[in-house]
Amino acid sequence: MLARAHAFTIDGLRTRHVNVEVDVRPGLPAFAIVGLADTAVREARERIHAAIRNSGYEFPNRRITANLAPGGFPKAGPGLDLALACAVLAASGQIPAVGLEDTALFGELGLDGSITASQGTLAVAGATRRAALDKLILAGTRVHEAQLIPGLHVAVAESLTSAVRVLSGGEPDPTPSRASRLRARGCERPSLLDLSEVSGQHNAVRALVISAAGGHNCLFSGPPGTGKTMLAQRMPSILPPLSRNEALEVAQLHSAAGEPIEALSSVRPFRAPHHSITAAGLIGGAQRGWVGEAALAHRGVLFLDELSEFARPTLEALRQPLEDGRVSIVRARHSAVYPTRFMLLAATNPCPCGHAGDGDRCSCSEAELARHRRRLSGPLLDRLDLLVDLHRETTSEGRLGSLESSEQARRRALDARERQRSRLRAHGIGLNAEMDAGALREHVRLDGRGEAMVSAARRRGLLSARGESRLLRVARTIADLDGVDRVRTRDIGAALALRPYATDTERSVA
Amino acid sequence: MSSSGTVHEALGACAGCRRRSWLLSALSVLLDFRAQDRARLDELLSLDDRDLLRSLGGRRQSELSARYEALSTEQIAEAPGVEAVCRHHSLYPRALRDDPASPWMLHVAGGRRRLALLAGAPVVAITGSRRASDYGVEMAHTLARGLAASGVTVICELADGIASAALAGALEAGGPALALPGNGLGVRWPTTKRPLYASLLRSGCALSELPHDCRGRRWGAVAGERIVARLAGLVVVVEAEEKPEEMALARAAGARGKTVAAMPGRLTSPLSSGTHALLVDGARLVRGAQDVLDLLYPLAPARRSSRGAVAEPGIPGLEPMLARILALVGTGRDTPDRLIEPGEDPAKALLALSELELMGLLGRGAGGRYVPRHPAWALEGAAGTHAAPDTLTAATQGI
Repeated sequence: MLARAHAFTIDGLRTRHVNVEVDVRPGLPAFAIVGLADTAVREARERIHAAIRNSGYEFPNRRITANLAPGGFPKAGPGLDLALACAVLAASGQIPAVGLEDTALFGELGLDGSITASQGTLAVAGATRRAALDKLILAGTRVHEAQLIPGLHVAVAESLTSAVRVLSGGEPDPTPSRASRLRARGCERPSLLDLSEVSGQHNAVRALVISAAGGHNCLFSGPPGTGKTMLAQRMPSILPPLSRNEALEVAQLHSAAGEPIEALSSVRPFRAPHHSITAAGLIGGAQRGWVGEAALAHRGVLFLDELSEFARPTLEALRQPLEDGRVSIVRARHSAVYPTRFMLLAATNPCPCGHAGDGDRCSCSEAELARHRRRLSGPLLDRLDLLVDLHRETTSEGRLGSLESSEQARRRALDARERQRSRLRAHGIGLNAEMDAGALREHVRLDGRGEAMVSAARRRGLLSARGESRLLRVARTIADLDGVDRVRTRDIGAALALRPYATDTERSVA
Repeated sequence: MSSSGTVHEALGACAGCRRRSWLLSALSVLLDFRAQDRARLDELLSLDDRDLLRSLGGRRQSELSARYEALSTEQIAEAPGVEAVCRHHSLYPRALRDDPASPWMLHVAGGRRRLALLAGAPVVAITGSRRASDYGVEMAHTLARGLAASGVTVICELADGIASAALAGALEAGGPALALPGNGLGVRWPTTKRPLYASLLRSGCALSELPHDCRGRRWGAVAGERIVARLAGLVVVVEAEEKPEEMALARAAGARGKTVAAMPGRLTSPLSSGTHALLVDGARLVRGAQDVLDLLYPLAPARRSSRGAVAEPGIPGLEPMLARILALVGTGRDTPDRLIEPGEDPAKALLALSELELMGLLGRGAGGRYVPRHPAWALEGAAGTHAAPDTLTAATQGI
């Protein structure tokens, strides 16, 4: 006898519909799964066998063939367990096959018949809706992810028996309360840090706000303990909240990466991978849809602390994501595209010992400095818009206090973004950092003095062509923060002071 | 010397001096063991070939002697672009000629005629720490630039830090400059020094007593010091720690009766401890190229005291806001956070900093701190780029 069930498999960010077909007929007892199943799916045979028997049903002692259609692409993960088990039960006549027709099943089975949530619930819920299926049955721990999709009927089933009950029209299990879910996972949303906790370093704080307002990539350079990381961690607190669509996009990515999604969060993601990360870890890998940190930072901030310690190939891999806002990964039998529209924040020591510019404490030789500079001044530095030097403060400056609170800064950044959005709407972009040459020509008109400064900088060799457009974008943002339509000379001056420069020590080689 | 036959003017070096050069390269490793003791190295290098072989050869003495005797002059020919000059040649620098410890022959990149010309002018050695501060680099650069522009030949070893900065400064002024790499001239240069070497060959000379591709190891640099100390009429130490290796050149020149001058730094900076020690010991204090020129061409004291050797910090015609910021940076308030008073509009100070940077009056040093540059930079930059200072200063008035 034949039975069909609907399930989904996750392939990177794509969710693909899988028709689970089970045929039970007389013959020597066997259970074969065909259709490019990976190890986790093939191991499902043992789990299903035990789960069915331990739930009080009978595992058919006949020849069982399960087909995962379409057979052309590989299916991964244990999320197909529930669909397979229900199809086996239906094919052996233990439950009516009617209930399976318009219901998607998603979950991993335990040997006792309990259902565990699998990663990618949000994506599966979205796909269920798109496939025009009525209902999705899944475990309670992740039900809130699925409920983010409007217009989808989600039924909770904590065990195979409950799932069977729901399929035959019975009541689902109760949705677990938020508190118990949090207890089960031991996670609580971290409270946002605030800019008002940063005392002094006003120049860096101003740069951080500029960066947040215009979406500019920013590098902090300074001796250890000057607050580079502290500043970077406060970036999310001054970024404008995610829109609903953006939030859904972000939630899908994070769900695909296996992170629990509580509710749609409007706080922008902040990812800070350790510098031992590999290129695949950073941009993602095709196999089993490994989502990289760059994609997880989509619509948010990617923070690379100790930038000079990252492996060169890892940093090189960031070039396409930075440039195109997405990364396409192609391997022998697989390909995947991830969106990577993030803002890059980085921090580094100014030299290997970390004390350059800090009195006479620096003990690096000229060769060491040159090596350090080479590591940084590659193509990556070329894509940074702002370079901020932090310095150890003397005691008198320590009393400077904080410049502004996150609330104030966020309001200013929001206003600036609003100005940008209305100005750049015609170009199909929303941020100054995304302006191309045409938009720059149209929206950054300099007066004679500003023009003179830019050309003087170019002639002095302080600016490359790419550096010039970066400078103009930053100057545009500084003017936007002040609520001014025209880019003034002082905006150019401030942008020049924050440009990524080459230090003067290189002059001795000129 | 028995081998001091006639020198063929076109060849540049006689057979005997060429053999000497070969011998030094053959003994390079053995000489290196003596590099720690400078006096001993000097003594060894004053010996004639046979004595040198005897004192260093050890077990390899007979083998080396045999090779030395069998050596033919063709085996020690010059590489392209390099000329030889030996102590019997008319173009050999006079300052080295009558000294037994001088090298017997020099390999010269840039031409022996140019060497004779450069060594004939007043020669000033600029030396100091290999690990210099931004201040030291700036001072060495400016000093060398001023001296070279006044027609003084600048000589330095080829090392990181002060020496490189001085060389770059001299070359920038169209440079009469001499440099001693401490290796044979064919030994590959560090990547970062190659542009410097290329421009050195345009207007100056590189000197070495070692054959083309012989590595000088440690002793090569030490031996180079003795050549600098002999060629230079005056030695300026810009910034040096009180360590034997950083003070050696000044001490050697002092011992030979040459004038030693030093530039002051901050008393709290260990990087200037050596220069301060020299000043205490009676070295002449110099503030810039003008002071050095005064030492080379002494004037009546009354006239000297009447003019400043260093330009006043004020730049004529500089807009008041820029002048104020420039002065503040000079006093050590060299970061935006230190310059901007609380409550003040930050854009003003940032604009002033950028303008000063564009005018060449400020540069960026270690850790991104602003470093004052010598006004000479600004004038040239402004003239060369048509970025007339008044256009720029006018920019601040609209704020």
